[in-house]
Amino acid sequence: MMQDTGYKIQDKDMHHASGIMHQRTITVAVAGNPNSGKSTLINAIAGTRLYVGNWPGVTVEKKSALFEYEGTNIKLVDLPGTYSLSPYTQEEIIARDYLVHEKPDAIINVVDATNLERNLYLTVQLLELGIPVVMALNIHDEAVSKGYKIDIKIMEDALGIKVIPTVATKKIGLNELLRAVTDTSGHHPKKLNYGSDIEAAASAVEKQIKNSYPQLLKKYPLRWLIFKLMEEDSHVMEEINVGDKSFIEEATKHLKKAHGNDVESIMADERYALASGLTHEVLKKPEFRKMEMTEKIDKIVLNRFLGIPIFLAAMWVVFKLTFDFSAPFADWIDAMTTGPFKRWAEAILGFIHAPEWTVSLATDGVIAGVGFVIVFVPVIFAMMFFITFLEGSGYMARAAFVMDRAMHAIGLHGKSFIPMLLGFGCNVPAVYATRVLENPRDKALTSLLIPLMSCGARLPVYVVFIGAFFTAYAGTVLWSLYVMGIALAVLMGIIFKRTLFKGESPMFIMELPPYRMPSFRSLMIHTWEKGKHFLIKAGTYILAVSILVWFLLNLPWGVENKKDSYLGKMGQVIAPVLEPVGFGNWEAASSLVSGLIAKEIVVGTMGEIYVQKKDEKKEQPALTDDLKEMGTSFASAVRDSASNVISTFGISSLSSEESAEEKEERSPLRDVIKSKFTPLSAYAFIAFVLLYMPCVVVAIAMRQEFGTWKWFGIAFAYQMALAWIVAFTIYQGGKLIGLG
Amino acid sequence: MAPLGLLSIGEQAEIVEIRGQKGCAHGSSKNQLCHAEDMGLRVGKTIEMLNNEGRGPILLKVDESRIAIGRGMAMKIMVRRKK
Repeated sequence: MMQDTGYKIQDKDMHHASGIMHQRTITVAVAGNPNSGKSTLINAIAGTRLYVGNWPGVTVEKKSALFEYEGTNIKLVDLPGTYSLSPYTQEEIIARDYLVHEKPDAIINVVDATNLERNLYLTVQLLELGIPVVMALNIHDEAVSKGYKIDIKIMEDALGIKVIPTVATKKIGLNELLRAVTDTSGHHPKKLNYGSDIEAAASAVEKQIKNSYPQLLKKYPLRWLIFKLMEEDSHVMEEINVGDKSFIEEATKHLKKAHGNDVESIMADERYALASGLTHEVLKKPEFRKMEMTEKIDKIVLNRFLGIPIFLAAMWVVFKLTFDFSAPFADWIDAMTTGPFKRWAEAILGFIHAPEWTVSLATDGVIAGVGFVIVFVPVIFAMMFFITFLEGSGYMARAAFVMDRAMHAIGLHGKSFIPMLLGFGCNVPAVYATRVLENPRDKALTSLLIPLMSCGARLPVYVVFIGAFFTAYAGTVLWSLYVMGIALAVLMGIIFKRTLFKGESPMFIMELPPYRMPSFRSLMIHTWEKGKHFLIKAGTYILAVSILVWFLLNLPWGVENKKDSYLGKMGQVIAPVLEPVGFGNWEAASSLVSGLIAKEIVVGTMGEIYVQKKDEKKEQPALTDDLKEMGTSFASAVRDSASNVISTFGISSLSSEESAEEKEERSPLRDVIKSKFTPLSAYAFIAFVLLYMPCVVVAIAMRQEFGTWKWFGIAFAYQMALAWIVAFTIYQGGKLIGLG
Repeated sequence: MAPLGLLSIGEQAEIVEIRGQKGCAHGSSKNQLCHAEDMGLRVGKTIEMLNNEGRGPILLKVDESRIAIGRGMAMKIMVRRKK
């Protein structure tokens, strides 16, 4: 793939191994507007070398990569996407602090060639830093196909930087870009002329800095410092603590008077004028404008009457596809963990003469517990894949737009909708994502409602119960749960708006990116980024809890009946409370207790409680048979999955139903559940699981975000009440009308 | 002059005033109108109304970007219609 474009970069580590040393290392920051194709460019350049972490102290994602290009080590640091370097948002502050304090050797400024003026506004600000800039004039192909002509030579001369047309999605121009970055000598960013009034004030401030504060010159880029002092930027003023500010006032007196505004606005206008002027100089657009694809789609998707139905339909398709695609793989993993893996563990432990109880711990505790959860890896990854697709295609932002009005009813605006949508993946990043909301009131209210968004961890529970009772309309039942969560979020929002959060709804502003087909590669990268948290959780947290639950189920030591174990006793205490809602048995209650830690554990615990060890007198298949079986059953899983997905789109689904029934026999947990629940109590149970308290990790996230347990406390209390009331209504109401 | 929120779909207009904007003093300001400025909604800009249903948010075309803003903010931005 790399060779096609003649694109050769190497891992730094590899290079070290081959013994070449003494190389130059440069740090390159990548800056650009949101939607400028910045992350695609980074992915295209760095690929698998990309390291994703967080900016220190905050949960804004930080991507970096270290690689070698033509004899130079390049450390690439991706800055958050920003429209400017003014400190209105956390992203802007991060980008600015990095550029000023870390002083990278060069900046790659990713610019959307189809939207030059606004992108150049950031470029103008980057030039103030005096760091060599290389512009990646990205999405260049689209600009060309729109008939735009951009005079690159004039732009390079006007800005004093190298400008490289790129098409990140097709890896065009990346070589030239990296070459320009490794050799920025001879390209000095121009000191743009901000007009005589501003320049006069600037030179007065400059003189003062050089005389009175020479120590600042080493720390800050001069021109940037001058401008920030003139603007009396509060962050900078605080940081450097200039005692006597009178020289600034003196220097800017004339400027303020002549323009009748504060310096900051004057500067912003001037920067914009520079960006605008340059755009007019370099860009030739065709006279007429035809309606673009994006606008055509938006006409339908954002339509007053169609918008919400389309959104709901899109969600339904996502859930149906998720379920259909992943179910065969889930069954395959299930068969593997309950079959070969268990047998192998038993064989190994038996071989080393480990005591009986360790075999039980390993098979019933660890393999069963983690296994029951690992089964849901395909479901979670499929769901993440589709959510990523919605994000990457640009539809997610439309969903926020469409939902803005509905969100006002609950005292929020459309932007809050995005954290909530992320909540469908996992509530934890959703709580962190509330940082995009500037207002503390919005953050708190959004965080309170996020746990009602059914996260991926709840999916395992639904899947088991749906598999046991509702196979015929699995997609619809699943969908109904998600809709129930949303509906209750609306209801609770209205209640909170009237009680805890009186006051005005805040303002809404966001950019809707053009529709784009996300590349398969970037879909995969982002799906992995989202889904891996679940894998990590399964490997650590859920593993630990599975062991804990095993002990709770097997202590006091030698307990005969699971009912008398510690966990069983807890369940017995709670069970009466759950009687009116349809599942007042200790097994269900115990599972719910363990699910407080993470909801997917409900399934694992049920597995441990319900699925008693059967007689293992069956013939033990040989290892090679096991491996062969793994392979063939995986192949049939792939086939089933494909046929399921096809059937989603209306083609006969007979074959998949057959195979679903076939597989049921393999799942002992489903059989037990079938005998212990009725369809009605099963639905009440999964509704309860949907609603009852957020998991411990969400609790920690909320604590971190707000610095107090208050909001989590409120969430805990209202959700417990809500879960019980809803389950009660479903169960008793259903019985009244003759169901169950 | 009319508030932006009253334009109908397809109409073009020039922004003449952004009300309630008293400079975007750094740091102290959580003024979202300033953020709107960074996104390209500035005095002198020509915009086109892409979506306005009379209620709820509106969608504007500013240069090559589509910016959605809430109705409250849309009523604070004064524009002159273009023919």
